[in-house]
Amino acid sequence: MSTLKVSAIQDASGGNTATINSMTPTADSLQGFRNRIINGDMRIDQRNAGAAVNAIGSGAFVTDRWAYFTNATAGAFNAEQNLNSATPPAGFTNYLGFQVASTQTPTTTNAYFFGHKIEGFNVADLGWGAAGAKTITISFWVRSSVTGTHSGNVQNVSNARSYVFSYTISSANTWEQKSVTIAGDTSGTWPTDNTAGLILFFNLGCGTGIQTTAGSWNAAQYIGVTGGVSVVSNASATFYITGVQLEVGSVATPFERRDYGRELIMCQRYYYKVSGDTKWFGIGYVIDSTRAQGITSFPVTMRTAPSAVEQTGTAANYGVITGTTSTTCSSVPTFNASTSEFSAVTLFTVSSGLTASQSIALRSLAASVYLAWSAEL
Amino acid sequence: MERRTMIYKIHSVIDGQTVFARIDDDGLCRLTCTAEHPPFQEYLKSGAELQDADGVVMSDAKEFVRGLP
Repeated sequence: MSTLKVSAIQDASGGNTATINSMTPTADSLQGFRNRIINGDMRIDQRNAGAAVNAIGSGAFVTDRWAYFTNATAGAFNAEQNLNSATPPAGFTNYLGFQVASTQTPTTTNAYFFGHKIEGFNVADLGWGAAGAKTITISFWVRSSVTGTHSGNVQNVSNARSYVFSYTISSANTWEQKSVTIAGDTSGTWPTDNTAGLILFFNLGCGTGIQTTAGSWNAAQYIGVTGGVSVVSNASATFYITGVQLEVGSVATPFERRDYGRELIMCQRYYYKVSGDTKWFGIGYVIDSTRAQGITSFPVTMRTAPSAVEQTGTAANYGVITGTTSTTCSSVPTFNASTSEFSAVTLFTVSSGLTASQSIALRSLAASVYLAWSAEL
Repeated sequence: MERRTMIYKIHSVIDGQTVFARIDDDGLCRLTCTAEHPPFQEYLKSGAELQDADGVVMSDAKEFVRGLP
């Protein structure tokens, strides 16, 4: 065994792309939380648990943290985790899939796209909006029935700054890995708090009014590249993606593997769903003969206090438990504004029989019953 | 899960806060919220109707929401 002592290892041109066993160690790539994208491998799907979101509307989420948007015709796409059961790329078990349900021809400023909003706290170190803004590299696995030049953008939340990138899908219905490197933006406003700090969108078809040349920063919102393909314009076209990584530096490193629990709790900062049969939602107290309210502690401090509670829409799915007595709800659980970023307060209503100040527990009474809270960006 | 059209209506007042219910096109309420809920604000901004607790369309919906504590 010999010992090698050197002061530096650089690539042939003096740069930082030298590899060791196919890895490229750099100051950026060796730090924790390399991948600023949460659920980039599409494993977490709290909302739909793998079920299809057919004729998806704008603003709807499919896998956690990934939402679809359009300012044009709703219902153009069906979306689903592992749509059509394709085999994911090696090393992945899940992907996010879109399929055209209703063919559209985007007019001037029409756009069909999906993406991921990164909280400002998680990109504050990029220093965007000032001299010294750090370069980022985005890498992902993609597969589509539509070959040619596809595109996406990186933009700020005010739509005042955007950078369109393009990539080529060479073979139809074949997984291909892509990466793009983007010089940090030295202009514009890029929040560094709990609001949206940086947004990554993938274009599924947009009009010429929001297309531009790829590869430079613009002082307006552009979604796609000029002359690129339009997935939404092709009947039954598919677009699948996984392994999305956004990292500091000019090198695309291997996808950062995070344990399932960590990834789940990162998602739960933005959306938390308790679901299942006979699951306990929380404990609380009786207000009067027909009303009780309970507290559900969030597993992680949410990004901001939720302003709504979601439920199944069926009152009989929910029950108030007092001692050994279960009383079925007569109205669906209702949001209480005392909900904070730490815990939710939910009102359960029954027709009669409760006694003020009793201790209670809130419970689901059937399969697939849930309560959910959102603090999405 | 299918795409749903929906309306919002006033649900109740809880601890002094007005709570709104989203009624999906199958008639079920799957979400209740306060006026701060971003999708509710987008809904109002789009000019869609808000109903009072009796299901009557409110002509002054935006003013009503603006006036909430």
